[in-house]
Amino acid sequence: MAKSFSAPLERTARLLDLVPYINSHQGIALKDLAAVFDVSNAQMINDLTTLWMCGLPGYTPLELMELDFESGYVNISNAPTLSKPRSVTFDEGVSLVLGLELLRSSISSDRADLLEKVDSLAFRLSSIINLPSVFSVTTTVNQKIFGAIAEALASQSGLEIQYHSLYRDEITQRKIFPIEALDVDGVQYLSAYCYEASDFRQFKIERIQSAGVIQIERRVTHSVTQSQGISSVIKVLKPSRELAERFNLTDATVGSEFGYDTFSQQWLERSVLAAGGAAALLSPPEIRASIAQMAQSMLDRYKAE
Amino acid sequence: MSRKIERLINLTIALLATKRYLTKSEIFRSVEGYEGSPETKERMFERDKDDLRSLGIEIEVGSYDPLFNDEAGYRIKQEKYQLDLGQITPTEISLLSLAAQAWQGASFDEAAQKALLKLNSIGVPSDSLTLPGASNKLSDGGRDFPLIAKAIADQQLLTFTYIDSQLFQNVRKIVPIGLSSRAGFWYLSGVDQEIQEIRTFRVDRIEGEIAASKGPRDFETPQNFDPKGVFEGGSPASFASIDVRKGKGTSLRALATSTESLGEWDRLRVPIYNLHTLASMVLWHGNDVFVQQPQELREILIGQLDSLVKSHG
Repeated sequence: MAKSFSAPLERTARLLDLVPYINSHQGIALKDLAAVFDVSNAQMINDLTTLWMCGLPGYTPLELMELDFESGYVNISNAPTLSKPRSVTFDEGVSLVLGLELLRSSISSDRADLLEKVDSLAFRLSSIINLPSVFSVTTTVNQKIFGAIAEALASQSGLEIQYHSLYRDEITQRKIFPIEALDVDGVQYLSAYCYEASDFRQFKIERIQSAGVIQIERRVTHSVTQSQGISSVIKVLKPSRELAERFNLTDATVGSEFGYDTFSQQWLERSVLAAGGAAALLSPPEIRASIAQMAQSMLDRYKAE
Repeated sequence: MSRKIERLINLTIALLATKRYLTKSEIFRSVEGYEGSPETKERMFERDKDDLRSLGIEIEVGSYDPLFNDEAGYRIKQEKYQLDLGQITPTEISLLSLAAQAWQGASFDEAAQKALLKLNSIGVPSDSLTLPGASNKLSDGGRDFPLIAKAIADQQLLTFTYIDSQLFQNVRKIVPIGLSSRAGFWYLSGVDQEIQEIRTFRVDRIEGEIAASKGPRDFETPQNFDPKGVFEGGSPASFASIDVRKGKGTSLRALATSTESLGEWDRLRVPIYNLHTLASMVLWHGNDVFVQQPQELREILIGQLDSLVKSHG
């Protein structure tokens, strides 16, 4: 999606950017320089050789750039016109402004100094690329929780968390040993060993209500308890976007049936209830009966009160 | 190909170093690489100018004596060419590096990495600033963010197919004014050209490609738009009175503006933004949640429970 240039243009851009980089990293190893610009060593030597031929009109040794890279370390001199980095392109500027916005939402309010710097940088970048300041990014995660998770991950210690299980609608206290924080399509998960479940679990970070670092002995016994999966068949009665998103449907027409596999009976029951009659569960029969019973008892109460 | 690249670099250096506009004939005479017949040189130069401009390098055209009909000249202004963020501190470089890292693996990743390279060429070292929450990542669900960002800056018209809550596909035409993200979803706000009102769309509910075209000439950005307000939901139409069993209904409790204890149950005051969304949330909680007011919400629930009983009987 980023604009891609033809090979010669891309190389021209790289050469222009190489000069200020070397200028500010005099003596950098050739292989490190190649890694920074994501090219092979041979390509980097090629690039430097081309640069070496460039300079101010006249093109005598006095006007050409001086590059030294035969030792395997790169130095540059006599390149004053290109010595400062090029300005950022529109895309580059937008990427930084949005990144700064995200950063702002993760800086705690007692770091007013940093917040001020983030604002000032975003403003300076926006004016360079003529961007109206209308971007915003907010996370739903409490900064304290992120802090505790980062600390536990860094210090290899445990966490005591209060976790809201959406399917069971319960808040449980758990001791966990975090392994890594993951990002799946913009949703953050914490992968951890859970001492209550004696197994590995993934916790949605936004559902962690509180978190505190604790000292705990690391246990890595991976019990292979496979929970029983449920295969259900659901019929669409009234197509809606909510239904399509909940069950991941690409096609939802009236009367169509689809199979859905899940590990949680509670999730399945609650999802069909929440659809409010837009879908009917055809099987398994015992879950179908349980949904009917729940709906009936709720209905009875509304009719009575 | 190397020769063309050398010529482009030499041209850039010459146009940057000059204090006055360089005419074409001066360029052909002094910049290495322009060879062949006058027409060939001319074509070469036109292509080179386009190439440099496509790299984002601004070439100014002008003449140094406006009183005479001089041959046009060219130059690149240092202040336009160079990255100028003013005085920059090591902490600021660190913040910008963290900002760039937020795009790992998403659409602006390449742009962010290139920007980072330029920042690292300023010659100011970064300090070892660590921010716990900075492990956050921006992802884009495969959407063309550069296109959206460009459309906001240039007030272009965006046309796309949007899936409404009944799963119908509607073609919407908006002039975008904001892009926001929350809890993993991106929201695009803009002035809907059909109704001339601000609307917000969840980006992953856009079907197919987004097309950008020239925007209306008389467009004025609404002055009171606050991208952060998109999620506040405005002022609610009314409030519902909902009973929730103790220890249950965490997601409803998160919405409540007040809670009153009734022993085994709590009575919540919940703002109503959308009756059907709230009904669906209530049903999700089964027997642990009971709506007292308003009657309108109770009627929706009774109707939906009725059809649930019938379709599962």
